[in-house]
Amino acid sequence: MHMSLRVRESSLTNPRGNVESVPGGLSSDQRFDAEKAFSSVLVSTVREAVGNALGRNVLEVLTSNGLLDDANNSKEFDRKLELLFGNGAGVLERMVVKDLNRRLGIRYDSEASFDYEKSLETARQVCFLEGRLN
Amino acid sequence: MFSGGQAELSGSEILSTLLGSEVRGDLLVLFHRNPGLIDTVDGVARRIGRTTVAVISEVRELLVLGVLKQKRIGASEVVFLDRAKDRELLESVANHLKTVRISGEN
Repeated sequence: MHMSLRVRESSLTNPRGNVESVPGGLSSDQRFDAEKAFSSVLVSTVREAVGNALGRNVLEVLTSNGLLDDANNSKEFDRKLELLFGNGAGVLERMVVKDLNRRLGIRYDSEASFDYEKSLETARQVCFLEGRLN
Repeated sequence: MFSGGQAELSGSEILSTLLGSEVRGDLLVLFHRNPGLIDTVDGVARRIGRTTVAVISEVRELLVLGVLKQKRIGASEVVFLDRAKDRELLESVANHLKTVRISGEN
């Protein structure tokens, strides 16, 4: 699938270093569609990462606890993850971002400093700019 | 090389051990995606794109917890997933998580 979406005045520099500012804007419909598509990819990535690491039973508990309701809201997701997993939350977030970056073709460096919110924003911008959702 | 076996742990302690590091998380994913995998620590390290040095202490933690087991095949020590123990430990984790409230708190 190819999406010809553009982000207004994006000044993103992703780890591949090939995303430039794109003039022009998205219509509200386009933004809504793009957000929806990104949210869907993110939730499926979170499900896969948690399921692969901790199994189906744990995933079901987290789903019923409403964890995945806020996967697209990085602050809220981060808060819930820390309540549930304590120090392990950071490991899960890294696993989510690693999977998400692999899906989107963004380089992931496990040695680099890590910020879940910033990583998600980078992934979101790359999605919008390059239409890599499928 | 490694010794397994540990007193019974709470779901919370099991969770802390399982998610004790990114490498450990990678190991869990590798063995859960490939539950029949039997390989040396060197081989396992290669599969997750890490060095043996980076992986060896993490494998040891999972052996102590009981998720992984080891045996000798010919001249090689290999590690593999103990599926029954893994199921049991993850069940404890799931039961622990059921007791944690996360909704409606800000």
